[in-house]
Amino acid sequence: MLLKTRGLSKVFGGLRAVADLDIQVADGQIVGLIGPNGAGKSTVFNLITGVLRPTAGQIIFDGADITNKKAHVTAKLGIGRTFQSAYLFPDFTVLENLVAASFLHPKCNFWEATLRTPGYRRKEAAKLEQAKEILEFVGLEPMQDELAKNLAHGYQKVLGVARALAVKPKLLLLDEPVAGMTAEEIAFSLDVFKKIREQGVAILLIEHNLEFMTLCDRVFVLNFGHKIAEGTPQEVRKDADVCEAFFGTEDD
Amino acid sequence: MLESRWSKLAGLLLLLVILFLVPVIVGGRPYVLHVGVMVLLNIIMVSSLRTIFLSGQISVAHAAFVGCGAYFAGVLAKQFALAPWITIPAGAIMAMVLGVLLGIPFTRVRAIYFAMVSLFGGIFLVDLIRVARTWTGGGTGLSKIPPLAQSFVGQKVPYYYCTLALTIVCLIILWRIEHSRVGMNWKAIAQSHLVASSVGINEAFYRVLALAVGCFFAGLAGAWYAHFNMTLSPDSYGFLPSIFLVMYMLVGGQKSFAGPIIGAGLLYSIPEIFRRLGTAAPLVLGVVMLIVVYLMPEGLAGLYDQLKGQLLKSREERVTKSAAED
Repeated sequence: MLLKTRGLSKVFGGLRAVADLDIQVADGQIVGLIGPNGAGKSTVFNLITGVLRPTAGQIIFDGADITNKKAHVTAKLGIGRTFQSAYLFPDFTVLENLVAASFLHPKCNFWEATLRTPGYRRKEAAKLEQAKEILEFVGLEPMQDELAKNLAHGYQKVLGVARALAVKPKLLLLDEPVAGMTAEEIAFSLDVFKKIREQGVAILLIEHNLEFMTLCDRVFVLNFGHKIAEGTPQEVRKDADVCEAFFGTEDD
Repeated sequence: MLESRWSKLAGLLLLLVILFLVPVIVGGRPYVLHVGVMVLLNIIMVSSLRTIFLSGQISVAHAAFVGCGAYFAGVLAKQFALAPWITIPAGAIMAMVLGVLLGIPFTRVRAIYFAMVSLFGGIFLVDLIRVARTWTGGGTGLSKIPPLAQSFVGQKVPYYYCTLALTIVCLIILWRIEHSRVGMNWKAIAQSHLVASSVGINEAFYRVLALAVGCFFAGLAGAWYAHFNMTLSPDSYGFLPSIFLVMYMLVGGQKSFAGPIIGAGLLYSIPEIFRRLGTAAPLVLGVVMLIVVYLMPEGLAGLYDQLKGQLLKSREERVTKSAAED
């Protein structure tokens, strides 16, 4: 297993946002995390990436315990992520967004960067090259000199994914990657995700959209912080609890 | 692209020649040269303040760090008879250390909350200067600090040239830092600390680093000032002087490297010219600042781009209008 959580919990004041959650992501899988609004999905992401500290439980990534690691450390270990909103550096160009995000690869030490050794210049050139490759990979290279904030919404989200790829992740966490997109943009993004999986990167993604779940190998369903179902998309869709959480009971 | 780069270089060269010839132009008038030195030192202070702002940290305590550098150098020189080539770096390093020590506990405090913390930090530092009376002279100030060199006494021209050289070196270093990976990380953190840490940028480290660099150059300018003015008063480093530095930066243009240079250059010299305004001078400056922030959000340095943008827009509108009429 690439990622495993055991008994993961987060309490905000009196609210249990995430309760005793066990999820697993295997190498190369696309795994979905679904649930109604407020089910605690984004909190799970923030716990895994170290933006928030869990109240209880354990997170194992790539064989190592990463519980309580800070956000920049989990990035270093190979977890890339996107955000529901504020997913970019708005005042950087598209290319700069990726160069800024390629901070870790290849790694320069502090003295190299201050003294601008030839090694540093070489590494910075490599970063530029890598940034261009990723832009080409996701199909944004025609817009590389646009300011990120001037991009259309759908492209901004794709740039968010590209930015996360610049971390060279083993696991990519995507928070509602197609929310608010047009059908055309959704098709465009689906291609990108499939290509990412072909590269051997595992994906854990949050979606409201049940249809979108057909892309997943496995799905976990959350409601009020609890896991209420898991399985293949087909299995989950038939589950009575899931239908209740999403569509309400017949008595309603 | 290349052309604009050459024209920029030519402009810079012209500016340097003018700055170099200032003592000749003003015929060595001491008062003008004194203001000239102060403008140059203020350029270092405001540029180093901008370094801190680059990382998204709003500091309203910058003058206090200038004061730390000034007092540390002054006390070392006067009470311990150390030479300026020791006291000036020591003052800069002291300011840097204090900046780092005060910054580390507050790396999780952001935006306006950080500004509040810095406000108290600044007040604390100035109070420290007042309290350490035996060394600093307290509220009455520290006087009879040795000059930069004995041969400089009573002269302004050598001070002017030395300060010009110092300013140029400081600006080159700050420019290079800003246009390196470090500067990029600062700008990334300022735009979104969440996204920045999601790509592996250690927010706390780079924020403290920005404070270290900013406070170092503030302290350097302060220490230099101590040996130039030879008298220090704690009042020069309180809240209002810090606000003035922020104002110079905003009026000049925070986004541009040239902003602090333009802002400090103009705003420091204008009140000197209108000295007779007396106590009303800050009022006039305040009104100027309000106007600039309202009409030119990118400051004087951004004015050219702003005007160009507006011109293009109105031309476009005219074109579409005439096209519609056809």
